[in-house]
Amino acid sequence: MDFAFTPEQEQLRQEVRDFIAENVTDSVRAEVEDAMDEGHGEEYMKLRAKIAERGWIGISFPKEYGGQDGSRIDQYIVEEELARVGVNVGLSGSGGPAILAAGTEEQKQYFIPRLIRGEVTFALGFTEPQAGADLAGLQTRAVRDGDDYIINGQKMYTSSAHYATHIYMMARTDPDAPKHKGISIFLFPMDTPGVTVRPLWTIQNDPPAPMGTTYGMGRTNETFFEDVRVPASSMLGEENMGWYVGAMGLNLDRVGASRYLISVRRDEDIVNWVKENEFDGHSPSEDPEVRDRIAEMWIEAQVCRLMTLRSMSIVEHGGNFTYEGSAEKVWAPEHGVRTTEGISQILGPYAQLLNGSIGAVEDGVFAHNLMGSFQSGINHGSVQVMRDQVARRGLGMPRG
Amino acid sequence: MDVLLTDEEEMLKNSAREFLEAECSPELAREMERDDLGYPPQLWKQMATLGWVGMALPERYGGQGLSLTYLGLVMEEVGRHIVPVPLHSTMTAALTINADGTDEQRQETLPKVCSGDMVLTWAFSEADPRYRAESVKMEARRDGDGYILNGTKMFVDNFNASEKCLVVCRSTHGSQGTDGISLFLVDTSSPGISHELLTTLAKDKQSQVVFENVRVPSSAMIGEEGSAWPIVEAMLDRGTALLCTQMTGAARKDAEMAIDYSKNRLAFGRPVASFQSIQHICADMIMWVDGGQLLTYEALWRMDQGLPASVEVSQAKAFCNEKCEAVVRSSQIIHGGIGFMMEFNLHLWFRRVTAWTLRLGTTFEHRARVARALLDQPGKMRLGRSMYQTASR
Ligand SMILES: Cc1cc2nc3c(=O)[nH]c(=O)nc-3n(C[C@H](O)[C@H](O)[C@H](O)COP(=O)(O)OP(=O)(O)OC[C@H]3O[C@@H](n4cnc5c(N)ncnc54)[C@H](O)[C@@H]3O)c2cc1C
Repeated sequence: MDFAFTPEQEQLRQEVRDFIAENVTDSVRAEVEDAMDEGHGEEYMKLRAKIAERGWIGISFPKEYGGQDGSRIDQYIVEEELARVGVNVGLSGSGGPAILAAGTEEQKQYFIPRLIRGEVTFALGFTEPQAGADLAGLQTRAVRDGDDYIINGQKMYTSSAHYATHIYMMARTDPDAPKHKGISIFLFPMDTPGVTVRPLWTIQNDPPAPMGTTYGMGRTNETFFEDVRVPASSMLGEENMGWYVGAMGLNLDRVGASRYLISVRRDEDIVNWVKENEFDGHSPSEDPEVRDRIAEMWIEAQVCRLMTLRSMSIVEHGGNFTYEGSAEKVWAPEHGVRTTEGISQILGPYAQLLNGSIGAVEDGVFAHNLMGSFQSGINHGSVQVMRDQVARRGLGMPRG
Repeated sequence: MDVLLTDEEEMLKNSAREFLEAECSPELAREMERDDLGYPPQLWKQMATLGWVGMALPERYGGQGLSLTYLGLVMEEVGRHIVPVPLHSTMTAALTINADGTDEQRQETLPKVCSGDMVLTWAFSEADPRYRAESVKMEARRDGDGYILNGTKMFVDNFNASEKCLVVCRSTHGSQGTDGISLFLVDTSSPGISHELLTTLAKDKQSQVVFENVRVPSSAMIGEEGSAWPIVEAMLDRGTALLCTQMTGAARKDAEMAIDYSKNRLAFGRPVASFQSIQHICADMIMWVDGGQLLTYEALWRMDQGLPASVEVSQAKAFCNEKCEAVVRSSQIIHGGIGFMMEFNLHLWFRRVTAWTLRLGTTFEHRARVARALLDQPGKMRLGRSMYQTASR
């Protein structure tokens, strides 16, 4: 075991920090903040291009598709720094890992470099009104018609669908097969005729949450597919194998610096806040119960960090995690909830004040977190389903 | 950055596991609960011969000169098999003698420790059980070329079996806090020492030790008179980190026993392992042990690098205290009534892990230490970056 980053990695971290200090100006920050729910503005895209130029996006992706063939730990470092300023460079949730694993040569050559350059972003179309945690129950249909497929159905909570260039979606291609065995994945442009997007507003929309809030999303969508015709070449992986491709991709997407950071950033915020602030001369940092709680949270945050590094270490060794990714996906979101609720009891009534209010603490980030932190325990594999996976895949316990 | 074990680390752990699996049955642990000495000398000697007792002690004293991490991996297995040997108390003392003792003190103890011919222990706690300097009231009064010790130590591990004991005293009359603390290497057979075994739920060998005008020579002092606190603190930190390895080792085994049991136990016509509520407890148990283990490894690794590690040690112990207890308690619950029965072995782990959560610092104490590091020093904290200096007990 070795808990240190190499000198080169420390240097890489410093370079990223210097880059941020120089390039992430207040106006960029303001734009990132404003545009969070509306796609990305011009300044952001310029910044992103500069980051890509440095080779910092998709570091662990293969060189031939625009990556760096680099280490997952390097990627973790860059991701950890840039996620703090609202730039996602790990390409988690991007569809990239699944495309690399299951895509045709053509798909890889088309999508991966564009994902890295930020020219393509996918909306993820998994969930349906009647299929959430039980995703394999999805009903959207794709029917073969010559060289094409015709897609009909509805997706729920297709976040970013209103500005994404493409959709990465699952549809049923064999209604007669057992439910996991009749699903395929399709990748196609959002502007394909027959696709309509309608907004769904979340409880974090008014006022919009400050950057870095968990969950922080003001808008998601429902997306309708009406006789949407896509070429057969837009299928990812083999026909009817979509469940396995999708599950593998989701699993890979579950780990990494941004996933862990989203749940532990408040720990850092509250420590620094109580050290520097007081309520009318009294700082909560002097209260023994507050100190105990803060230490408890901090220790849990270390567990989240180490579980993330464990998944990274496994990938770095060329291995595949069995239960470790799921464990990480239970620990970080549940910790995020515990810490958010703990903080609210430290701030008392101030914890309810949203941005814009008199007396709001840290621009309302703690208050927004109270509304949204639990959400990261539902999305991308709910903590209940993740615990099932730890028990079944990790511990060999039988299905009920 | 690689939090996984290397091949050599894995090999060491496996060989310790194989040996202990064969040599230490739960019956042995049970038997030693009723034994006067509390450990089987022959097994202790065998473990010394295999090099495990001298694992982290220098080669010139017959040790292997390997890292604390290696010793920790062995102790994880010792915890897993609840091996009734005085390894923890001996190591806690021996590593301190090695780090801070004089050449004569090392010569006098370490070769015998490595060969399995000397058991050691250490005595810190008194009536006030908190692991902080204020709790030390025991007096060491200068007298000619030696010192006279007076006071009562509590919870001294394996004192009955130890030849020597590191004793933490206050050598400056009326001194406060960390000032005036001295450390002595005392023969347990010295005139004026008496001890009585405590009756503990783990049925282990802890004693109350009374020192009445016990004379020790100046050469028994470790470190400088009145300024041994940093030595004592380092001793407690090493002991704490090593105890965490035993706790996670034992808790993991305990969790595995619950998982196995649930797969075979039928209720409502199906294995209880197939109930989601049972599965989720088991998933939690494994994640708790994993978390404690990762925190412990980071602490040991930092010590081996010579980096400050007091915060990491306290992180590990605070977490292990709560979560390892939760593991063994959950395992009892999954076993239903049978785990509560004396004839069933599960309680051997339950009672030991429970006892270990109470040794070398409570959850509150360790969190208080983390809180001091987080809140009482200037500067912004950032996850993933270490934060020193003010983190003292
Ligand atoms: C803001 C937001 C953004 C999202 N973004 C996307 C996106 O971009 N793309 C996308 O496809 N989806 C997205 N989702 C959907 C998200 O993944 C689903 O909400 C999630 O899968 C849960 O599905 P559900 O809401 O239908 O809950 P349900 O599946 O109805 O679950 C209800 C409850 O039952 C529990 N449960 C279900 N099955 C079990 C079981 N076997 N054992 C124990 N408990 C169980 C769940 O954990 C949950 O607590 C988003 C959701 C939100 C709120």
